[in-house]
Amino acid sequence: MNQLLVAFITGVTTGGLSCLAVQGGLLASSLENQLEQQLDQQIEQEIAARRAHRSGKKRERILARPRLAMPILLFLVAKLAAYTLLGLLLGALGSVLQLNATTRAILLIAIGIFMVGNALRMFNVHPIFRYFSIEPPKFITRYIRRKAKNGGNSFAPLFLGALTVFIPCGVTQAMMAVAVGTGSPLLGAALMFAFILGTSPVFFVVAYLTMQLGARLEKWFMRFVAIVLLILGLVSVNNGLSLVGSPLSVQNLTSALFQPGPASNPVASAPPSNTLSLSASNSGYSPRRLYALAGQPILLNIVTENTYSCARDFVIQAIGVEKLLPQTGTVPVNIPAQVAGTIMRFSCSMGMYTGEIVFTQ
Amino acid sequence: MIKKTFRVEGMHCSNCPMEVEGIEDDLPGIKQVSASYQKGQMVVEFDESRVTDAQIIAAVEKRGYQAFPA
Repeated sequence: MNQLLVAFITGVTTGGLSCLAVQGGLLASSLENQLEQQLDQQIEQEIAARRAHRSGKKRERILARPRLAMPILLFLVAKLAAYTLLGLLLGALGSVLQLNATTRAILLIAIGIFMVGNALRMFNVHPIFRYFSIEPPKFITRYIRRKAKNGGNSFAPLFLGALTVFIPCGVTQAMMAVAVGTGSPLLGAALMFAFILGTSPVFFVVAYLTMQLGARLEKWFMRFVAIVLLILGLVSVNNGLSLVGSPLSVQNLTSALFQPGPASNPVASAPPSNTLSLSASNSGYSPRRLYALAGQPILLNIVTENTYSCARDFVIQAIGVEKLLPQTGTVPVNIPAQVAGTIMRFSCSMGMYTGEIVFTQ
Repeated sequence: MIKKTFRVEGMHCSNCPMEVEGIEDDLPGIKQVSASYQKGQMVVEFDESRVTDAQIIAAVEKRGYQAFPA
C-alpha cells in the first residue's frame, strides 16, 4: 500500500509535467483533429444560420469555443487503461519487455518525424505530408459515424492516449522498472495505475489551460498547434540522436563548435584521471564534460542525491551501459580503455540530459 | 451497381473522410463510399438507376466539400 502511495505522489509531483513534455505532441495531434472537426461544424452552423437569416428566421448564436475537456479526458482515460495493462504485463513478464536504448532512440526519432510531418501537413506545405495523418480503419469510422452521430470523434484521443504506452517519459520508465520488480501482475498493474492517476491532474490542467488559451485565438490556433508540434517533433528527433550519442544532436554540435577551454569551464577542468565522478541531479549531469586518461580502464562513479528526474536512467550507448540509478547513492560504472581523442557521449534514457567523456593522454 | 472515383477537395484532416462517407446515409442508392484524405478522392459504389453523379456531387457539397468526376 505504501508503495502505491509513493507511486501516486511521484506521479503528482514530477510525472505529470514530465509526461506532458514527452507525450504532449500526441495529445496535440488528437486535439488538432478534434478542433478541425469542430471548426467544420461551426462553419456548417454559420452557413445554416446565414441561410436562415436570409429567409427571415432569427439568427442563432454560433458556438465559438471548441470543447476540449472531453478529448483530453478520453486521452487520459485511455492512457490510464493502457498503462495499467502494461503494468500487468510488466509484473508478469519481468524485464523481457524493457526497451533498450537503441530501440527507444529509434522510437523517439520516428515519433519526432511523425510530429514534424504532421506540422508540415497543417501548414499545407505539400500533399505528401497528408500521409503523416493517422486515419482510423474504415470499419471503425463507419461504426463511430453510425453509433455516435451527435458526438465528436472520440477515437483519435482514445487511440493516441493508448499509444502513449510506447513513449513513456523518464519518470514513467523508472516506475515501469519498479513494476517489473514487483514480480506480481496485480501489484504491477496497481502500481502503474496509481502512478498514471497521479500524473493525470497536472497533465489535464496544463493541457487544458494551454489549449483554451490557444482556442481564443481561433484561426491562429491551428498554426499555434502546428508550431508546437514542429518544436516537439524536432526535440524528439534531437533526443533520439542524443540517446544514440550521435554527433548530429544539437548539444553535441554546439559542444563541438564552442568547445570551452579549461578556463571557461572550471567544473570540467579537473586533470584527466582513471577515476571519475559524475553528479546526476534533477537538472541533469554535472560536469557536462569529463576528462579521462586514454589507454587504461576507467571507473566512473555516478552520484545521486534526492534525484527524481530521468537523469536517473543513465545510458552510455557506445559501450551498452544502461543503469537505473537509486534516488540517493553511488553507482560505479566500468569503462574499458579507449584511445586518445575518443569522445564518449552519455545521456538519460530519453536523451534529454547529456554529457561526454573526453579521453586524453 | 457500378464503382466510380471522384476527386474530393476540401478535406484537411483524417476525420474528413468519415464526414464525406456520410453521403451513404444521405442517398439511398449508394451502397458504399470509401474516401481517402491522403489521396484526396472517394470511391463510390452505387446503383446508377437510382442515383446520378450530379446527386452524389451535390450531396458531398452539402457536407462542405467539393467533388469532381475523376
